[in-house]
Amino acid sequence: MSKPTVGIFGLTGCAGDQLVILNCEDRLLDLVALVDIRDFLMASSDNQTECALDIALVEGAVLTKKDADALRAIRKRAKLLVALGSCAVWGGIPAMDRGMDRGPMLEEVYGDAGAGYDSQAAQALHEVVTVDLNITGCPIEKEHFISAIASLLNGDAPLYPKYPVCTECRMRENNCLLIERGLPCCGPITVAGCNARCPELRVPCIGCRGPIGDANPASLLAVMEEKGYNREEIVNRLRMFAPQGAPQ
Amino acid sequence: MKILKLPKEKLDLFASVVQQFGELHAPVEQDGKYVFKRLTRWSDARLEYDRTILPPKKYFLPPQESIFRYRPGEGFVPVTDGLDQRIILFGVHACDVYAMNILDRVFAGKYRDPYYQARRKNIAIIGIDCLPDKNCFCRSMRADFVDHGFDLFFYDTGDYYQALVGTALGDDMVQATGSVFEPMDAAEIDDYKRRSLNKRRAFQLDVEIRDLPEIFEMEYESELWDELGDKCLSCGSCSMVCPTCYCYDVSDDVELGSRAGDRTRSWDSCLFYDHALVGSGENFRGPRASRIKFRFYHKQRGFVAEYGRPSCVGCGRCSNACPVGIDVVQVIDRLRRVEDVASR
Repeated sequence: MSKPTVGIFGLTGCAGDQLVILNCEDRLLDLVALVDIRDFLMASSDNQTECALDIALVEGAVLTKKDADALRAIRKRAKLLVALGSCAVWGGIPAMDRGMDRGPMLEEVYGDAGAGYDSQAAQALHEVVTVDLNITGCPIEKEHFISAIASLLNGDAPLYPKYPVCTECRMRENNCLLIERGLPCCGPITVAGCNARCPELRVPCIGCRGPIGDANPASLLAVMEEKGYNREEIVNRLRMFAPQGAPQ
Repeated sequence: MKILKLPKEKLDLFASVVQQFGELHAPVEQDGKYVFKRLTRWSDARLEYDRTILPPKKYFLPPQESIFRYRPGEGFVPVTDGLDQRIILFGVHACDVYAMNILDRVFAGKYRDPYYQARRKNIAIIGIDCLPDKNCFCRSMRADFVDHGFDLFFYDTGDYYQALVGTALGDDMVQATGSVFEPMDAAEIDDYKRRSLNKRRAFQLDVEIRDLPEIFEMEYESELWDELGDKCLSCGSCSMVCPTCYCYDVSDDVELGSRAGDRTRSWDSCLFYDHALVGSGENFRGPRASRIKFRFYHKQRGFVAEYGRPSCVGCGRCSNACPVGIDVVQVIDRLRRVEDVASR
């Protein structure tokens, strides 16, 4: 049986998730023994840009018509489309400006030339095409990428935690930054999988992995307001990586 | 049961001798809170502490553990690494010992869990008495005193520790220390009674648990549950820090390029959206309100029906750990309040 064909792509983003894949150094040989990576611009100058793909992994958000066209073309080629990283899954940092008037922003940055630019409010992949699997994170966790490939090769979807960062943080027996220090920690509504990396280092969670499925941001906001934080500041913090993370 | 006393200045000697029975773990300070940890120095142990962030449960049912490896053609191989490790938990409060006795009913009763049982056998417990703080209600939960579930239990009396010997292993520890343990005299018995009364009077919280299951039954439709559902973050903190929450989830971590892998279990919580989600897509407790309600019902009512008492021991950890301040004592008080019922 021939190896499954794979393509790895980046739309608008920092390329950090593709870099995580390349950083799986000790696993890369195992990986290429199992899958046939046909199209991966960041790693190769010799790509098959038209071939059918069993798995397409796409990083970044859709910020231009060019991004949207590229994504639709990838979707047509791929049996399975995987959104890679918080930008692809949620819109990410580029989606912070959603709801703002784009014209003046383009003008402020690019002057008169801004009006002609191909630029639109950031969209997550699922808002443009059908997405089969999400691997969130800013950047993604190496282990989540490897376990996704391992599971997909067996015909299964990988399982990722659906509970929030608090759960992992408590499992690690950290002191609570929100309760004990009154810091604006987004752990209670942010999806786990990072093993509470930041709170473990006494840095409050900024929600980079996006919200849990049934997040209760209104209740978290109320608690932070009680602790003396400004509502707007907290709402901005909650929506920094995912517009869906803020209270409606 | 044997009751002896250990002069305070002999505690260091006892602590050094007792290490022949296992690796010594005790509460140590961590940024103003306490955690059970392996001691590198006996002087790190803090025997006067309020409560540890995680209860001793973490030693018997770890947050995450590999339970077996599987490989096509070879079947399942249990992972037994570390199960035979001898550990001494020094400084366990009565409520936490009580909680372990409750977990015994779950993991060593009708359904026997070999991993839990192996650890329970190999981990010795030396308890220590304590005074309640503003969040303790173990007395209300009948968990302020334990008569079993420990190897030794110490009461700090100021000049000496009064020591209850609970098991043969506890007695071995006493014997190994030589003649430093002494019998109690009549005056010291009176001292004990006085201290016992003082402790009883020190509780600031009082919860009535008689007829509580009935009240829960009648208040099933209370609007309180919706209020709690609006507040709850379903972060699971209360379950993680609870000494008697024992739900776990099981998942397979498959190896890259094979069908072999590891089966792991990790702590779960009934507050999580997918706790009662089943294969068909049906979720028996979809709304947050029904999940937090379930947690209270299981602790205070369901467990009573099954095991004859609430599984809550009144340690106060969940109230301390809740980011939005959901407080078990306030919830029970509110349910018991008459005016709420009348105003409906």
